[in-house]
Amino acid sequence: MTAFRLELRRCRSLALWLAVSLAVYGAVMGVMYPFLKSNDELMRQYMATFPKEFLAAFGMTGVLSDPGVFYTTYMSSWLWPIIATAAALLLGTRAVAADLDRGFLDLPLATPLSRARYLATNITAQVIVLAALATTAVLSIWLSAAATGNVFDLRGYALAGVLSFAFACALAGAATLLSVVTLSRGQASGIIGGAVFAMYAVFVVTQVSKDWAWLAPLSAWGHFRTTELIDQGVVPVGDLALFAAVAIGGWLAAVWAFRRRDLAA
Amino acid sequence: MTNLVIEATGLTKWYGHRRGVEDVALGVVEGEAFGFLGPNGAGKTTTIRLLLGFLRATSGSARVFGADAFRDAARIHARVSYLGSDPGFLGELTAAEQLDYLGGLRGLPRRAWAPLVERLGLDPTVRIKRLSRGNRQKIGVVAAFMGREPLLVLDEPTSGLDPLMQREFLALAAEARAAGRTVFLSSHNLIEVERACDRVAIIRDGRVVQVSGVGELLGSHWRSVNLVLAAPPAPDAFDLPGVEVVAMTGREVHLMVRGNVNALLGRIAAHAVEDIAITTPDVEDLFLRLYRDDGAASPTAPGEVPA
Repeated sequence: MTAFRLELRRCRSLALWLAVSLAVYGAVMGVMYPFLKSNDELMRQYMATFPKEFLAAFGMTGVLSDPGVFYTTYMSSWLWPIIATAAALLLGTRAVAADLDRGFLDLPLATPLSRARYLATNITAQVIVLAALATTAVLSIWLSAAATGNVFDLRGYALAGVLSFAFACALAGAATLLSVVTLSRGQASGIIGGAVFAMYAVFVVTQVSKDWAWLAPLSAWGHFRTTELIDQGVVPVGDLALFAAVAIGGWLAAVWAFRRRDLAA
Repeated sequence: MTNLVIEATGLTKWYGHRRGVEDVALGVVEGEAFGFLGPNGAGKTTTIRLLLGFLRATSGSARVFGADAFRDAARIHARVSYLGSDPGFLGELTAAEQLDYLGGLRGLPRRAWAPLVERLGLDPTVRIKRLSRGNRQKIGVVAAFMGREPLLVLDEPTSGLDPLMQREFLALAAEARAAGRTVFLSSHNLIEVERACDRVAIIRDGRVVQVSGVGELLGSHWRSVNLVLAAPPAPDAFDLPGVEVVAMTGREVHLMVRGNVNALLGRIAAHAVEDIAITTPDVEDLFLRLYRDDGAASPTAPGEVPA
């Protein structure tokens, strides 16, 4: 418990600021929703001036007043990936790479705390923080929209929260593994950040050009589709399983590698 | 049978093509204070990280309390207290919080640090990022000594401490030793090792070049002999094996003698001596000589332990 308490404490500030950012943004978007809805026809005409493919690249596959399109456009395609990537990188690379670099890692690891337990404690903290952030992202929009008299389907939004959480966990699992492999926060963050950007670029290309549509499954965004999930209530079992596999696989591989890894100061 | 707390045999670590340590052999007996001397970059910290299981040996073995240092690290750490030369405490915590965290991981009660904090004059309520390097090192000293683990591994523990605190550290080490704890003290400070330790290993360029008792280390090396004779001696008056004539000016003679001094005393006795001073060389001089002269420090059974 001693190690876990400190982990949570070290996450506190980051989690708080990211959650506040999500909450404020979500609340503003939720409050804005009635205006989008009351100007639905105008928005349709405006969006019709853009190529469909271009809008699809940014999650706008229908009208903005549609709850699924609304969430995807303003949260899933924009702020959540940024917040999730930042949280995953900062939390996933801290326990091993950053703490080795600052000389802290020797302190807990020179006690009876095993390497596996040390890293598992950090991973548990990652899961808690990412779950809290995903919940904040969903609830901030849902509650503020509800406050203006627009009650969205809670199940759909809850499913979107679960998929958002799984998306962030996949990034965190990969970041944790790279942190152990490289022992460098900069390298691990650079690789993950680059991969996220590349996958986003690939997704945009697949939406703009049908010739490249076959590449979509290679991009995380190809599996992070919240529109149908909210509007039709379809549970994206395959996408969830894929993100879970990357997350759990990354974390388990990180623990396995960390137990065998040289910790050269 | 000698009870070895630390046992290293042929311990070698390469970082790619860069040498860490090579063929290190050490045996630290339960209850002794063992010094590990060497200049920066000699391989002291690499050896300690191998002994604590932070690094995996390229070849050879490191055993602590009879267990494999890498594979059984967590089990070994239940019996080890470690202090690094520049511990990276968390700046956002106070000293009290940091010490409670480390104490908690070691199964110590809260505020186990209180008596030592008072003894070292440390304010436990200040955030670590606001403390000087010396005060941060004090936290490390408190962390190392607040438990009752039977083995203390201290890697340059006094760096950053002022002379008063260095003395307090030596007192703590002596108390630990008196309580039957084993102390493994890595340092490049010869005086510190001379005061705190029974035996010493000297590491140079990644290899242990000598292991001996501290007294032996001093005794088996050069002594300075200054004579004032009643009359100038013959130029070859002190031509003896192990004796160097540093200066001979009239009646004043300055010699350096190594090893047994009896033969030299016999030659001196043949002269009318007005004054004589035989001094043990400064331990710093000894160390410098050891490092300056290739071959001066031949490997003398590095893994050997007292019977």
